[in-house]
Amino acid sequence: MKKRGKSDRIAYLYIFPLMILSFAIVYYCIIDTVFVSFTDWDGMSAEFNIVGASNYVKMLKDPVFWGSVCNNLIFFVGTVFVQAFIGFILAVFLKTKLPGTGIFKAVYFMPIAMATSIITSIFKILMDPTNGVLNQFLRSVHLDMFACNWLGDPKVALFSVILVNIFQWMGFSMMTYYAGLMGLPDDVYEAARIDGAGFFKTVFHITFPMLRGTTNVLVILGIVGSLKTFDIVKLLTGGGPGRSTTVMNTYLYEKAFNDFNAGGAASIGVSILILAVVMSFIQIRLGEKE
Amino acid sequence: MKHKYLYKIFIYAVLIVCAVIWILPLGVALIKSFQVEGVKNYIYVLNYEKISYVRVIFNSLFIGIVTSITVTIITSLAAFAFSKMKFAGNRVIFNSILACLAVPVASVTSPLFSLIKNFNLLDNHFGVILPLVAFNAPMMLLMIKNYFDTIPDELLESARMDGAGRFMIWCIFMMPLSVPIIANVLVLTFIYSWNDYLMPLLVMRSPDNYPVTLAAQFFMSSTYQSPVDVARIYAVMVLLALPSVLVYLISQRFLVSGVMSGSVKG
Repeated sequence: MKKRGKSDRIAYLYIFPLMILSFAIVYYCIIDTVFVSFTDWDGMSAEFNIVGASNYVKMLKDPVFWGSVCNNLIFFVGTVFVQAFIGFILAVFLKTKLPGTGIFKAVYFMPIAMATSIITSIFKILMDPTNGVLNQFLRSVHLDMFACNWLGDPKVALFSVILVNIFQWMGFSMMTYYAGLMGLPDDVYEAARIDGAGFFKTVFHITFPMLRGTTNVLVILGIVGSLKTFDIVKLLTGGGPGRSTTVMNTYLYEKAFNDFNAGGAASIGVSILILAVVMSFIQIRLGEKE
Repeated sequence: MKHKYLYKIFIYAVLIVCAVIWILPLGVALIKSFQVEGVKNYIYVLNYEKISYVRVIFNSLFIGIVTSITVTIITSLAAFAFSKMKFAGNRVIFNSILACLAVPVASVTSPLFSLIKNFNLLDNHFGVILPLVAFNAPMMLLMIKNYFDTIPDELLESARMDGAGRFMIWCIFMMPLSVPIIANVLVLTFIYSWNDYLMPLLVMRSPDNYPVTLAAQFFMSSTYQSPVDVARIYAVMVLLALPSVLVYLISQRFLVSGVMSGSVKG
């Protein structure tokens, strides 16, 4: 049908529903965010004033904002590299295709299919400082020094959030590496074996460097994922204790719905959107290279 | 040969240790949910009067099913046009819809809220469904369009010769030929909307309208100090997790490939 030279007007009918939804909701939200970021709107009333760039000036001077950016960064680094490491090792082991590996794959991937809301609830009870199973276990094996207030201590709360996030998303890194491994030619292994290289030497000196493309994709997706982070922090700690786990999205939510400062929230929203667009461009570029 | 044996044992040891770690949180929840009063914990939760389990599951099912069917229909129609029809602006419109993939929903919560309020959809299932459709559609469009591109034009041309209109071709050719990807999109959108927490948080007000994700928080906000309370809250989590675990076990193949293709290509 494409071959015929004429333009097919009927086509617009087919794309209409999707287009209306995208433009009326997603694009409306983007434009509205940009506009509101230049006003002092409270998010409720009909009145507001244009205030120029003052929301941005306030944001750039706000230590809490920079703290949240920093937490996003720690969250990204802590999650991606640990996740990629475990995911890679498990993918290599699963690739051996020993009997039963299908079951293991299913187990590791399952948390992705579950609601963050439920996973965080379970971890919140497990991590309870006094009644939680985690601390009870640590005390019973005489590792009392590791038993801590996982979500209530500002020094460890962010670390605990990262731990839960790794638990939920490790299966994704694993499957990505697994797919990458399937694409590698087998003769590489053969050559290494003939050279007398051991299993681990082959894995870390040959397999891992060959999967650099996969690792790059995971790093970019990790940054995008960190920019999207909201549920897990809101549900586990609400950004606290103090500001120790506040990330950009939870700070935005707080500004919009607790402080009734829609303008301030929008200026954070614009910064997240800009970062997200930049990351998507890099992702597309990387994809073209592959 | 002996080496090979050792490797195998080592590999299994690592895989099993990790599997235990990954099962443990759910396993502990399951075991603890039967503590103190056994099955009575479950009966208590199922008969809890402030929030009804059946109602909660119904809400999540309704949101999940309506969202996934709507997404599938509108994206497959659009993908058909983008893939097989020639019209001015094809690429521009397609790319501008794909660009929505980059937008983190959490960064536009405040305009979304006022939008839903202006539509008068607060505390209404469609207030959750509408944004979920809009934000899930771009990735599903990409998946279906990529698949449609692999269906040869000649095939449709011959159907056209037989006098079939475009809509008929979509109905009796494109959709049946694309069953694997359609199943993928249905399952994926269903799971994503079932698991979504942010939209119901913004929209739903009365516990009668709470889906699974909000219901979990509703129970978490009650005090759970005594062993019976803790056991009951574990029972709640097991009951709320159960449907998604079942869906996962049934549709694992579709889901895994869907999550992978959606994110890596996107």
